[in-house]
Amino acid sequence: MNPSKFTFKKVFYPTANQIELEGSLVSLHCHHFNCGLLKVFEELKGIDGISLLEKTAEEVFYQFFPSYLCRHPEINTPAQKLEAAAALYHFLGYGLLDLGALTPKGGKAKAYSSYYVTAWLAKYGRRSQKICYFTCGFLAGVLAVIFERPLFSYRVIEQKCLMLGDDYCEFLVKEASQCP
Amino acid sequence: MSLDTTKIIKIFSSGDLPRDHKGIIGVFGIYAAYNLNEFFYKVVSRALMKVSPEEAAQIETQLYEAVLECAYQTFHGARTSLTWEQEVSPMIRSPEEEIEALVAFTNVFGIGFLEIKELIPGKRLVIQVGNAYDPKRYLEEYGPQPVGRCYMFRACTASYMDLVYGPPFPRGKGTFRCQEVRCRSMGDPYCEFVAER
Repeated sequence: MNPSKFTFKKVFYPTANQIELEGSLVSLHCHHFNCGLLKVFEELKGIDGISLLEKTAEEVFYQFFPSYLCRHPEINTPAQKLEAAAALYHFLGYGLLDLGALTPKGGKAKAYSSYYVTAWLAKYGRRSQKICYFTCGFLAGVLAVIFERPLFSYRVIEQKCLMLGDDYCEFLVKEASQCP
Repeated sequence: MSLDTTKIIKIFSSGDLPRDHKGIIGVFGIYAAYNLNEFFYKVVSRALMKVSPEEAAQIETQLYEAVLECAYQTFHGARTSLTWEQEVSPMIRSPEEEIEALVAFTNVFGIGFLEIKELIPGKRLVIQVGNAYDPKRYLEEYGPQPVGRCYMFRACTASYMDLVYGPPFPRGKGTFRCQEVRCRSMGDPYCEFVAER
């Protein structure tokens, strides 16, 4: 994956303190907040906070990614769109993704670096649970766009994680219709 | 106050953020990432709407603490950076101007524009934000809210006072607490935050 092949138009409006990325508002946050938010959601009582995090990431990137592709008609094959999704993930600061092995039926994706692993290690230290919930949601969202499926068409499960000492994070992608 | 806040915003908003070879953004002693504002709004609002008002208040307190830690660490990292030392420190002549500089620095993260409305040295800081993202979305999706929803700005406002008037870093966090006394999600024309000891 060569993230620099793709461009992402980011505009900062200094009198409004707004950052627009390809037409959508984004903001920059540090690991103390991002990990703190994740911890709050992991510990929520009576709510499946992890599922909420994943589904929300899935939904917002399912909405965002088509608008990016509309602005970049030169990205027009599934292979190019997979590369563009990995480049977006890198641009946002979440790390390096390899999506080259994915097909409309699913497959496996790998991450060779992970913001949440790096961030959590810096803030709280090592843990024995996988942590890349955001990535699961991101992948499910963009893959539904790339393979022209409805929202929530894919289920993504992290099988390996850098947090656990694995060499990379690995995500199993399955069609939701094939899952129990 | 005569600080050139436009210059501070320009300094910290220009150029690309430094990344390591794995694409992770590290700056001012923190790891940073961009995300869609809609993500933060949706994930938090959905949690708050699923629980009782008491549980929602507890979640918001936890989020306030997370942002307070974020702001306290990030702003301290910024004010001890080489860029700050070279470009900003020469402009600062008082603790009040340091507050002003930190607020200007915050005005590059894409969270909405913070303006100082009142500063009583060592005692009280009032900040207004007219274009925060979340309140508008709460109104659109859920209607007027019974309480302010801007945990992020509350914590930022407290952190300025903690850093400048609290005990020296890292012991000052939590010296000041902040209340949101007006919020657009409650129908007010702007959001207003008051930090006091």
